[in-house]
This record gives sequence, structure tokens and C-alpha cells, in this order.
Amino acid sequence: MFAIAIIAVLVGLALAVVRILAGPTAFDRLLAANNIGTSAIMLLALFGFMTGRPEFLDIGITYVLLNMIGTLAVLKFFRYGALGHAQDPEREGDLR
Amino acid sequence: MGAILDILSWAAFLGGSFFYVVGAVGLNRMPDVFTRMHAVSVSESLGVGLMVLGMMLQAGLTLVTVKLVIILLALWATGAVATHALARAALHDGEKPLLADAGGRLVPTDPVSLFPELGVRLAAPLVSESVEAEAAPVRTDETGPDGPAAGAGNGSGDNGGT
Repeated sequence: MFAIAIIAVLVGLALAVVRILAGPTAFDRLLAANNIGTSAIMLLALFGFMTGRPEFLDIGITYVLLNMIGTLAVLKFFRYGALGHAQDPEREGDLR
Repeated sequence: MGAILDILSWAAFLGGSFFYVVGAVGLNRMPDVFTRMHAVSVSESLGVGLMVLGMMLQAGLTLVTVKLVIILLALWATGAVATHALARAALHDGEKPLLADAGGRLVPTDPVSLFPELGVRLAAPLVSESVEAEAAPVRTDETGPDGPAAGAGNGSGDNGGT
């Protein structure tokens, strides 16, 4: 049953790659890249279960956090043209 | 007991696989960025959720289940935040959502024409520009009057003391 889920995740991964190659805007590509990150996490977890070594989940937790930070960094770059400003609390932030 | 758990786990894996593939197909079939975000959120919430549920049923009450819960909560939270930020960045970049006109055809529509308050937020100056533009004048204005005034205050205080 893990094999079926792994095949489904791989199909989703391939379709996301198609969207990255075809996507007209950078936001399409970023959305598909985020989906690929999620697919990588699910592949890690499912492969760990299939081989009987669920210790792979620790790597998956790391990937979740890296995926989030990577996406937000690219989005901040799109919006502000730079990374790492001192944020004035009275101004509109990038997540508000 | 084991057989029941296996059946439930099978159902969760099959459902999760279905929703994962459906979301990925929607990523390719939908017409613009915002509807594609909607499609991807299906696979990232329901697909991932059901697959992790299936793995939890297989793992039982162990530390592995705790790690799966951590992964699931982190994925749900970060997926929503990343989608929100993505839609915001796309709107700010001038991406126009496809909306149906009176004839039912999909046309790129300026969202500001529907929600005027959105235009105020989108037209606000970007932080990187406004900080650089305002920082220099404010600093010179403060040092100009404050410098002499502080010096005069100190001088008068000294005079009064002596």
C-alpha cells in the first residue's frame, strides 16, 4: 500500500514539473516548486515506511521547515526586490 | 484488530493518493495562477493529510506518530501561509485574475475595479523604496534643530548651576 501512495506522489511530482516547464508566470513556477517540496517530504516519509525505517521522518521535518523558508524568501524577493530589510512595525509587512 | 487497522489504512492511502493526483491534474488544467493555487491546496491539505493518517494507523502509538503529527501540522500551517503570500505577491505584481464577464467568458479582470480598497493597499509604496527615500531627510531634519537646541539647553543648565 505504500507503493501505491509513492506512485501517486511521483505522478503528482511529474505533473508539477510539467507546470514548472510550462508555467507562464514566475508565480506558477513557484507554486509548482512548493508542491514539489511537499512531494519530496511525502516521498521521504513513505519510503521510510516502505523500507521499515521510519527514522526518515526526521529528515522530513527538516524539509518542511526549509520548504517554508525557501518559498517565503523567494516571495519577499519578488515583492521588495531585496532580502533582509529592517522592518518598520508601522509599515505593511510581507505577511500582513 | 490488525485487519481493521490495515483496511482503514488502505482506505486512507487510496483516498490520499486520489486527492494528490487530482490536485496535480488541477495544477495543469486550471486557467490562471489563483485557481491553480486552489487546486494545489487540495493535494497539500487532503492528500497529504490522508496519507499521513494512513501512516499513523500503521505506526500505532509510538514516537513515529508524534513525528508524523509534527510534519502534518507544519505542512498545513506553512501551506496556508505560503499560498497567502503567493497570492499577495502575484496581486502586487499586477497579475489579473480570470473572472467571468456578463457573457460567461473568462477575461482577465483588474481586481481593483471590484474592490477599491484593494487599490489603496496595492498602490502603497514598497518598503525598500520608501525607507530609502524617507530615511535621509528625516535624519537631517532631526540633527538640524536638535543639535543646537540640545547644546543651548546644556549651556543654560551649566550657567544656572554655577
